[in-house]
Amino acid sequence: MNAEIKNEVKQLPEIITPSNKEVIVVGEQENGEIKPVTIELLGAGRDLANKLNGVLSCTLFGNKLGDLPKKLISYGADIVYIADDPVLENYQTLTYRRVLIDLLSSFELPPHIVLLGSTTTGRDLAPRIAAHFETGLTADCTELDIGPYEHTNKTDPEKIGLYPGCLYAIRPSFGESLKARILGPWKNPQMATVRPGIMLPLQIDNNHKGEIRELSVNLKPEDYRSELIEVIHAINKSVNLTEADVIVSGGFGLGKADGFELIKELANCFENSMVGASRKVVDIGWIPYQHQVGQTGKTVRPKVYIACGISGAIQHRVGMNKSGLIIAINKDPDAPIFKFAHFGLVGDLYQIIPELIKQFKSNNLHIIKKEGEKLIA
Amino acid sequence: MGDIQNIFVLIKQVPDQSSKAGINPDGTIDRARAKRMLNPFDRYALQAALHTKKTYGGKVTAISMGPPAAVEILLEALEHSVDKCYLLSDKRLAASDTLATAYALHKVIKYAGDFDLIFCGLQTTDGDTAQVGPQIAERLNLPQVSYCEDFKIEETKVIAKRVVEGGYEWVKMQIPGLITVANSYHPLEYKTLRGARMVQHLLRNEEEKTNYIKIITLDDIKADPVKCGLKGSPTIVARTDKVSEIGGSCIVYQGLPAEQMVSNLVKNTNLPEFIKS
Ligand SMILES: Cc1cc2nc3c(=O)[nH]c(=O)nc-3n(C[C@H](O)[C@H](O)[C@H](O)COP(=O)(O)OP(=O)(O)OC[C@H]3O[C@@H](n4cnc5c(N)ncnc54)[C@H](O)[C@@H]3O)c2cc1C
Ligand SMILES: Nc1ncnc2c1ncn2[C@@H]1O[C@H](COP(=O)(O)O)[C@@H](O)[C@H]1O
Repeated sequence: MNAEIKNEVKQLPEIITPSNKEVIVVGEQENGEIKPVTIELLGAGRDLANKLNGVLSCTLFGNKLGDLPKKLISYGADIVYIADDPVLENYQTLTYRRVLIDLLSSFELPPHIVLLGSTTTGRDLAPRIAAHFETGLTADCTELDIGPYEHTNKTDPEKIGLYPGCLYAIRPSFGESLKARILGPWKNPQMATVRPGIMLPLQIDNNHKGEIRELSVNLKPEDYRSELIEVIHAINKSVNLTEADVIVSGGFGLGKADGFELIKELANCFENSMVGASRKVVDIGWIPYQHQVGQTGKTVRPKVYIACGISGAIQHRVGMNKSGLIIAINKDPDAPIFKFAHFGLVGDLYQIIPELIKQFKSNNLHIIKKEGEKLIA
Repeated sequence: MGDIQNIFVLIKQVPDQSSKAGINPDGTIDRARAKRMLNPFDRYALQAALHTKKTYGGKVTAISMGPPAAVEILLEALEHSVDKCYLLSDKRLAASDTLATAYALHKVIKYAGDFDLIFCGLQTTDGDTAQVGPQIAERLNLPQVSYCEDFKIEETKVIAKRVVEGGYEWVKMQIPGLITVANSYHPLEYKTLRGARMVQHLLRNEEEKTNYIKIITLDDIKADPVKCGLKGSPTIVARTDKVSEIGGSCIVYQGLPAEQMVSNLVKNTNLPEFIKS
């Protein structure tokens, strides 16, 4: 930084937006388990709280939470706010919204930061909370940090100043070709939703001390304007996609369920490989849900990901774009997947895959997995 | 036929990122030069609104906020036989983030009158937040169903199928309410002959066009300018960086026999090394 700029910085008035320095993670649980994204957020939130010299807290709503709140403490929370009530058994926008708004309104000074997962729950709830408090919210972040911000934009003179301790909410934009750093220092809480599978969780520490506070649940009749009728879930943990070195995935371009035989054969060319799939083929029943990669499936980071007949929709992409090497096979040269794959083969997968199998086999591509080397999920 | 009277659908004009025009070397968009199109996600919202009208009755009103050029997508909506359009266009809306956008749009909705259902797209390809819909629902104190993939209406309730992690859920929501439509909903049907003819007619009759597309400003909807545009936006983009490894760096093999493309790939990738590393 040169001297001139430094001088200018000094002239900016320091503006501190009132807050209690608390970082609140809005936790999620399902069927008696804390969702991984919540644990990841606690990892990220711990770092932010330390940088702010503040506390890290976590909310958890549900019915019969048992020892889950204690677990959140072991994962880094200093305070856990729980709402344990039969009406909160399942997530519903208005009921969860009410409890969270009541909590966030109960502080003398607002919390500094509120974080939610970029899940179908977090992205449903976060915008309502942000609109209620008329505060800033950044969607689908991939990095978070704390730092100062100098606002010099003259079109808004009353905001000019140096703001310390801002949340840097960093997210991909314009189809992931750019990374934007988004700030909202003039109002607290500063809010963000964070993409699952990216932040690093803390090591579990059963000695970490924390406090559990029970919230009262005061719902109003208008909060019952929607209700859950039925959940159709297909959770089965037996397929562990996240630990494979190589994932070969099939999409709607396979044209038929049998196409997965070919996908399996290609996967079998590699050691420690698995078969993945797009949501579309899971939905039509060609392959079970456990194989689904993407926003509402698994987030995977194999060394090699081979996408066959998959268009590369954003919801698929977020589950696999951290893979070491991405190879895409698609007959459409304009398919979005070619925008982020490393290698692309344009053509009919029924011609290309058999050729791949043949050449992989003749090249003796059998790969031995190194011991003890596991990538984090 | 049910008791649906008024269906609103929120649609936005976005830059066409598949065309190279107006995409700056650093990846940002030069909105003046970029080609424009209807936000692809809003096509599903439009379909959901038109389907509701066809199955349960009512009139469809399309609402958009944007520069005057956004009339183009409202004409497109008229070709699909929506009944009426509003375009909120005002210089004071420049640099609105989602909170400010939702504030302005909720004012348009109030101005446009009573409604049973509001449909939004899942997200926009330029804003890409999926926030505006729920933020409008909050402002209007409405129940919502996001990521809706299918729905039916029974009396005063919508029974909606919602995409969630690991499957679906069925939710029953009271009308009036807001729905954000997933991209796995039914694709937009063809333009109707009646709609296309009408638009041809309107293009020749500027005066009559204003009966179908009402262009309004912040003053018309009595919006507080302090809550709009840059002033009303609690967030700003402080910095953008190009993500180098993504976008355009894909090595593509095409137009050759499969055997040759694959052998080129195998030669160039050195897969065993990659997997061992
Ligand atoms: C809330 C929400 C969550 C979602 N979560 C996920 C998720 O977790 N994971 C996920 O994958 N999706 C998810 N989706 C769905 C996603 O938006 C896409 O619809 C889906 O990924 C498309 O699957 P696909 O690529 O297999 O099919 P399509 O988009 O139909 O693509 C098929 C591709 O195959 C190509 N093709 C056709 N025939 C051949 C051939 N013979 N040879 C080679 N190529 C061929 C075509 O050119 C096309 O590009 C979600 C959607 C929503 C709304
Ligand atoms: N300027 C706008 N005009 C009309 N509708 C909009 C506008 N911005 C957002 N929307 C609606 O809100 C949805 C979500 O947008 P976003 O939050 O930008 O991802 C879109 O699919 C539209 O239905």
